[in-house]
Amino acid sequence: MTTTFRDLFRYRQLIAVLTARDLKARYRGSVLGFFWSLANPLLLLGVYTLVFTRFFPRPGVDAYPLFLFAGILPWTFFAGSVLESTSAISSNAGLVKKVMFPAEALPLVVVASHLVHFALALPILLLALGVTVAVGKAVISPVILLAPVYMLVQTVFVAGIALMISSAAVLFRDLRDLVANLVQLGFFLTPVLYPLHSDFIPAWGRVLLRLNPMTPFVVSYQSLFVFGKVPDTLDVLLMLLYATISIMLGFWVFDRLRDTLAEVI
Amino acid sequence: MSREPAISVSEVSKTYRLFGRGSQFQTLKSALLRRKLVHTPDTSIEALSDLSFEVNRGEAFGVIGRNGSGKSTLLKLISGILKPTSGTLAVDGRISALIELGAGFHPEISGRENIYINGIMLGLSRREIDERFDRIVEFAGIGPFLDEPVKTYSSGMYVRLGFAVAVHVDPDILLIDEVLAVGDEEFSQQCVAKIQEMKYRGVTLLVVTHQLDLVRNLCDRALWLEKGEMAGLGDPVRVVDEYLQSVAGSRLRDPGPIAEEPEDEGEAEDEESDRSEEERWGSGELLLTRVALCDQKGRDLVAIGAGTPVTIEMEVDVREPQNDFVFGVGIFHTDGTCVYGTNTDIEGFLSTRIESPSRVRFVISSLDLIAGNYRIDAAVHTRNGRAFDYRRGAIRFVVGSRVHDTGLYRPQHEWVFEGGMELRRLDDIHRNVPSPLAVTMRDLDAEAMKKSRRKPRKP
Repeated sequence: MTTTFRDLFRYRQLIAVLTARDLKARYRGSVLGFFWSLANPLLLLGVYTLVFTRFFPRPGVDAYPLFLFAGILPWTFFAGSVLESTSAISSNAGLVKKVMFPAEALPLVVVASHLVHFALALPILLLALGVTVAVGKAVISPVILLAPVYMLVQTVFVAGIALMISSAAVLFRDLRDLVANLVQLGFFLTPVLYPLHSDFIPAWGRVLLRLNPMTPFVVSYQSLFVFGKVPDTLDVLLMLLYATISIMLGFWVFDRLRDTLAEVI
Repeated sequence: MSREPAISVSEVSKTYRLFGRGSQFQTLKSALLRRKLVHTPDTSIEALSDLSFEVNRGEAFGVIGRNGSGKSTLLKLISGILKPTSGTLAVDGRISALIELGAGFHPEISGRENIYINGIMLGLSRREIDERFDRIVEFAGIGPFLDEPVKTYSSGMYVRLGFAVAVHVDPDILLIDEVLAVGDEEFSQQCVAKIQEMKYRGVTLLVVTHQLDLVRNLCDRALWLEKGEMAGLGDPVRVVDEYLQSVAGSRLRDPGPIAEEPEDEGEAEDEESDRSEEERWGSGELLLTRVALCDQKGRDLVAIGAGTPVTIEMEVDVREPQNDFVFGVGIFHTDGTCVYGTNTDIEGFLSTRIESPSRVRFVISSLDLIAGNYRIDAAVHTRNGRAFDYRRGAIRFVVGSRVHDTGLYRPQHEWVFEGGMELRRLDDIHRNVPSPLAVTMRDLDAEAMKKSRRKPRKP
């Protein structure tokens, strides 16, 4: 485990350039550049706002678009990283098989580039916050300055899962389908579209939501950006716990599978 | 630098697991249905078994063998891409591997950015790449395309760039897997030249290739793998030849009472590059029954003065008539340096037929070597290099000189002095001189006599 962390430090430059490479390659030749990466969450935002404020108006929160946006961004960071990490290693088979290359860099690069997308979307979230404050439906609080800390904790959590999934996906080719379905399901079982404490959620439903490890993360961002409050201590502790378990398990699984990767890929 | 070997492989085996029934991949579904996550392989194949050898620092080490003999597996084990199933592997120094050129390039990104990314992948820091950047670009010859996406490059430019980055990592150990076969002739030569330069600078080279000439010319030692096991290790010319014999088939094995195969393979080889024993190998259809260094009167020489006219005489016995045969001679300093080598093929003689015992004379009007110990290799082989009879160190001789000049070769020369200076030629420069001309067989001391009696028995 310690060697893995030391290697990671050595490879930070590698992870940085590969992330830059991915981002550049993705947006080279497209006029709107990174805004494409925002298109999906913005579209979701529009559709859900329409559905849950006009067609089916029971959101249980005043500034619904802002609330939605604050939850969709961390969710997209998680979902995008996890989905893409299923192919992180197999799509770079050449590197793993032909170059002396630390394979763990690959899922981490995926996480890093999704983190960059997340960070680039923050100004827009702040803009949305500004607009909502202007119409008097939200308050700005200095607690949003804590956001980077939560992002860091979430990054560690996501990185652990990405490490696990990327290496296991090489051995189990159908893991990708499984993950895709779980992620889709997970979206509705995470309080992104509705507040966790909505009165229409039955008690057993709240238990179910509490079992979802993404819940404290999403709830915390909503708390920072929409309600201007420091997240609950329970949520903070859960986040730290999940992040620790996830990253340790991630490296453990990856270490066990590492030696077989170049062979079975 | 320490004298530790650069690469040491001990009792290394590598087993690949083969999964039958269509796929090597299992699905999670099937694993869960069978309630075991560990997939047991149907069969396994041993790509390398119990292999041990060492590669010395600064050595050029060739690995040859048929397809599937485990060469590339060995390279991947050494580079750390694969892990051995059992045994230990120790590598001392920074490695760069040319396994697939440009493997890490991203097609959408410019050549400039790819150089940085590839360099960092190979273990350089950004600053180190800055320092090397101009050299890399120059070597790759991609100047005008530097800022174009790599997808617009020709395949030649692509591999050139890959090679350029990989060799400019300044590795202590360079692993090369058959990459010199790609690209055009000019590029191949450029690569070989670069590799030779690296060898000269003391980089340890490990070359996996089917280009046997490269092994013969570049490598200090060669390893021949056959089905994952060591089939030969040692002098590259000999090992390559044994390999060629084996590829050509076993029918060639019968004819010779030839070649007491040297038994002390491997270990002893590198300790003493000059061995006083003759090494001899070949398939034996043609035999060099006598190889001698003679003066103009046909007397055997063992010591000569610099600038003596000499003749290398070879008598050939024919066991099976041949159409394709080449005679070659090489003169080596006993430190292993090749002073001169040539053969009848290089010099444009096309063989047509040899049926009966013959004699070949290689006449040198003036052997302008400096003082020292030398050996001569003589061989008769096919045009593609498969030896009928290869006699390494067939002759050993000493060159004496009046002058203590240095180097390998003494060009015909004179000094001309002009202007206001005066130099006087000393006569006592002649002291300590062996007789200026020709020590013949009769003058040999007892030790040399013993040596000369070891000539192989005549058939």
